[in-house]
Amino acid sequence: MSNLIKNLPTEIKKNKLKTGIFLGLSAYWGVILIGTFLSLN
Amino acid sequence: MEVFLPIAEVSVNIAAIFSLSGIVGVLSGLFGVGGGFLMTPFLIFLGVPPTYAVANEANNILATSVSGSTTHYLKDTLDYKMGLMIVVGGVFGTLIGIWTFTYFKDIGKIDIVISLAYMYILAIIGTAMLVEGLGEIDKARKKIITKKKLHVHYWIHGLPLRMRFQKSKLYESAFTPIIIGLIVGFIAAIMGIGGAFILVPAMIYIIGMPTRLIPGTSLFVTIFVSVIVTFLHAFNYGSIDLILVFMLVLGSIVGVQVGQKIGESVDSTGLKTLLAVLLLLVGIAIAYDTFFAEHAINDVVKIDVNNLNPLSMFIKKLSADMPTLYGLFSILFAVTLGVAAAFIRRFFSNLRKKYLN
Repeated sequence: MSNLIKNLPTEIKKNKLKTGIFLGLSAYWGVILIGTFLSLN
Repeated sequence: MEVFLPIAEVSVNIAAIFSLSGIVGVLSGLFGVGGGFLMTPFLIFLGVPPTYAVANEANNILATSVSGSTTHYLKDTLDYKMGLMIVVGGVFGTLIGIWTFTYFKDIGKIDIVISLAYMYILAIIGTAMLVEGLGEIDKARKKIITKKKLHVHYWIHGLPLRMRFQKSKLYESAFTPIIIGLIVGFIAAIMGIGGAFILVPAMIYIIGMPTRLIPGTSLFVTIFVSVIVTFLHAFNYGSIDLILVFMLVLGSIVGVQVGQKIGESVDSTGLKTLLAVLLLLVGIAIAYDTFFAEHAINDVVKIDVNNLNPLSMFIKKLSADMPTLYGLFSILFAVTLGVAAAFIRRFFSNLRKKYLN
């Protein structure tokens, strides 16, 4: 686990596309979840 | 050119409706999905209120599924027994769905519920397709071949009331297709979609049907579910607009044929990733409309209902005075267009075989 955390920056550099997609999807899900929460309250 | 929809009471651009339903039809033919989960949001963007968009897209799906199902019937690639078991669940699911729809309509929250449902469904399908598509591209690059298990047994297969499905060569509980039908019917009633995106994976991975019987059986189930959804929407809310349905059916039937032709000569792995991106973009657009620009949806020029042409006046009066007859007519209209499209396709296919081969 600690190795993974240490190597995380190099892994991100290696897989820029995958990291971008992961961040994009996280942002998208974040927006719709927060939006739902706000609009239903 | 603008056309006034007498039931929805809004004006829409004919070219926009034709081209969008044509594009969605091409995507349906290319990827084997129904396309309802794309067309309903597009109708909402064009200014059709969500309640009307759901009902009319269900009627359009009826026509396209009748057309596709007739083609599969002529090819004998349909499992009626399995289809009817799914329909049993689908009927109950649809009734529960319409009841839920009525509840949210009564408390004035139906538009936000439809928008949220689309946002989540598009987000789930888009994310799943994107991850799968990228995985497939990765595997193809690294030349990795994975062996899949032929049939996996879940708890659902152990339920009672086992029966034999000769055509699919299966012996399993009748509750498996019934439960799947229930879920599909519920979603179809609320969102105005055929539910193929749930039904097809469920038929492959849960029921374990042979792949060649899946498209025909899925379309066969969709006919019954969309008949009930169309009739209940016409009867309860008078929301079926035959002028809109006619435009949608023409665009999507032509588009589906084009999509199927393109699909025969194109590798769909890369395209699947693009479709996933498109779904996510539509989801973002709905999120923007719902959370940040909700007023824009309803910014549509309304026309005086008393100045309608005779056809629009007739449709409006028939829908208001005789909802049962109007509902039955909507179903018959879609079924006739669907069957006619299937036979026209068969005629041209025979003609091509006769003169080109």
